[in-house]
Amino acid sequence: MGKKRLGHEFYVFLAIVSLSLIIQARSGQFFTLNNIVDLMVSFIVPAIFAMCELIVIISGGMDVSFPAVASLSMFATTKILLSMNYTGNVFFAFLLSGSFGLIMGAINGALISIFNLPALIVTLGTQSIFMGILQGALNAQEIAEIPKVMFDFGNAKLFVATNPLNGLKSNMSSSILILFAVVIITYVFLHFTMWGRGVYAIGGDSNSAIRAGFKVKQIKFSIYCFVGIVAGIAGMTRVCMMQNCQPNNLIGMEMTVIAAVVLGGTSVKGGSGTIIGALLGTFLLTIISNSLLLLSIPTYWQSFFTGLIIIIGTGVTSFQLILSSHRLPSMRKSKNEA
Amino acid sequence: MRKSSVVLILMAIFVCCASFAEGKTYEIAVVPKDATIGWFKRMEVGVKQYAKETGMHAYMKGPSKTDASAQAEVIEDLISAGVDALCVVPIDPVALEPVLEKAMKKGIVVITHEGSTQKNTMYDIEAFDNKEYGAFIMDNLAKAMNYEGKYVTMVGFVTNASHMEWAQGGIARQKEKYPKMQLITADQYVEIQDDPNITYQKAKELFKKYPDLKGIMGTSGHAAPNSAKAIEELGLKGKAFTCGTGLPSQVRTYIKDGTIQYATLWDPADAGYVMCVLAKKILDKQPITNGINLGRKGYEKMILKGNLLIGSGWITLDKNNIDDFDF
Repeated sequence: MGKKRLGHEFYVFLAIVSLSLIIQARSGQFFTLNNIVDLMVSFIVPAIFAMCELIVIISGGMDVSFPAVASLSMFATTKILLSMNYTGNVFFAFLLSGSFGLIMGAINGALISIFNLPALIVTLGTQSIFMGILQGALNAQEIAEIPKVMFDFGNAKLFVATNPLNGLKSNMSSSILILFAVVIITYVFLHFTMWGRGVYAIGGDSNSAIRAGFKVKQIKFSIYCFVGIVAGIAGMTRVCMMQNCQPNNLIGMEMTVIAAVVLGGTSVKGGSGTIIGALLGTFLLTIISNSLLLLSIPTYWQSFFTGLIIIIGTGVTSFQLILSSHRLPSMRKSKNEA
Repeated sequence: MRKSSVVLILMAIFVCCASFAEGKTYEIAVVPKDATIGWFKRMEVGVKQYAKETGMHAYMKGPSKTDASAQAEVIEDLISAGVDALCVVPIDPVALEPVLEKAMKKGIVVITHEGSTQKNTMYDIEAFDNKEYGAFIMDNLAKAMNYEGKYVTMVGFVTNASHMEWAQGGIARQKEKYPKMQLITADQYVEIQDDPNITYQKAKELFKKYPDLKGIMGTSGHAAPNSAKAIEELGLKGKAFTCGTGLPSQVRTYIKDGTIQYATLWDPADAGYVMCVLAKKILDKQPITNGINLGRKGYEKMILKGNLLIGSGWITLDKNNIDDFDF
């Protein structure tokens, strides 16, 4: 497997390096410690979401509801903590938000696995429902003052990077530890458990997976539960980092995250994809969205430019997939057997 | 000329309203851009206060997201429900023309707010002249920047007509009154997509790109508070400044800790209130003339320009008055 997968990641990596060099050449501000820290901080929430989407796409599905899950979880949690004047540990906020996410994920999972409905359609529907609950039932509006424990966590920093030339400072948010934890957990689940093998097997060929003895329905159900929990945590992370709670703010992010995951070499047909690839794809898009001014792209052309990079990027990745598609199935299977 | 057009409009209104009895309790519906956001929740306060004071059936009903077609649907529903007056804050004036035309044909009084390009409306209420409000923001920014240094402006979207007019009004004021200030023309209108996180990232990027950037003029309500977040983190407090529209709840911390010196605002509750007042006046067939008093501070002497009613309802928020506002 090593050869082929290295290929995808290598191309995305190459794109990142060349883009970085271009930005550095145009602004002289890319390879500075504070800029790298800024990028890492902007990368946290999209990267957590990318882990959700990666697992779903590997399993042959497509989830567009996770920003809605995140929004509803984070909003409900913030509201509850505010109303009870919560002053305890911030861990509880994440636990609560993750639990709300789990409930919503379970609803997605049940519809997809039990009734065998297409994931994209189900999540499109539930996305609307979750946003409807948020806006209708909870009457959501922006919360400008969040509970102090969350505010303090958002302010917490591992270190401060200072640019010696202009004295600009950037804080490395402690929230990056959450990203590390999510990535490690996803990695362990995906590569060291039977469940992870099942995820790849279902994405490759659902029927074969059943014959091979995987409990396909259970695995599918648990995938969406996992996504729910992680989305809830991502939402809470965003609220803490932005230090205010915007109910509509995450919506629309699903498309960027899907693009990032596909950019990282994950096949939309399912069955293949790597964590490194998804992270690199997300990082590439993060760099772009954070460097349009540094690149001196005129305001009116910024969306055009972003779209262009996504098309070129996914195009290159898909081209690589086509080139290696003949070898792909046999190689993966032999790995699964091993 | 102006008088005759007023008479004409009035006659049209008389015809429209002929069926309504004097002294009746009118049903006045206010349609905001997005009923879920703090700004319009505040507007609802004014509408409710109006209803309470006058006994009119005035209420707010709006889409649950900022979506032009959803707003048109809400208006359709209200037309079918038989309201007497519609007070609309249009998301996209062009998209609303057909449905508002339909409402006016049915004899419903239509008033808009922040929709100066709307054709199918009887009057459009503007809290202020857009260019003058922009100039007002610039006055405050200039004061914070000690009248010198480089600056850029931030707009929600470059397609947002009001934001662009504010920015242009601000730039014009700077050129006319503050010669020591300098606009960075390469990035004169930075688009922040009306998103707090993007604003914060763009502000950081701007300070990296222009080490001598001293001021950010905000138009969208997200610009100033999230630029302030960036200024604070970058360690530029006291060296770089931002001023723009800001809800008190969003700028309160920054005004108190001195990252933001001044924020500008108009009170959406006032706008909600005066729309209802105007609707009632039209329904009662009272003349709408230049200098009309709509009963709120800043709206006491409205300027009538065509079908635009323009007030001067802006305020400055600073350390001294920020706690007077509870929204």
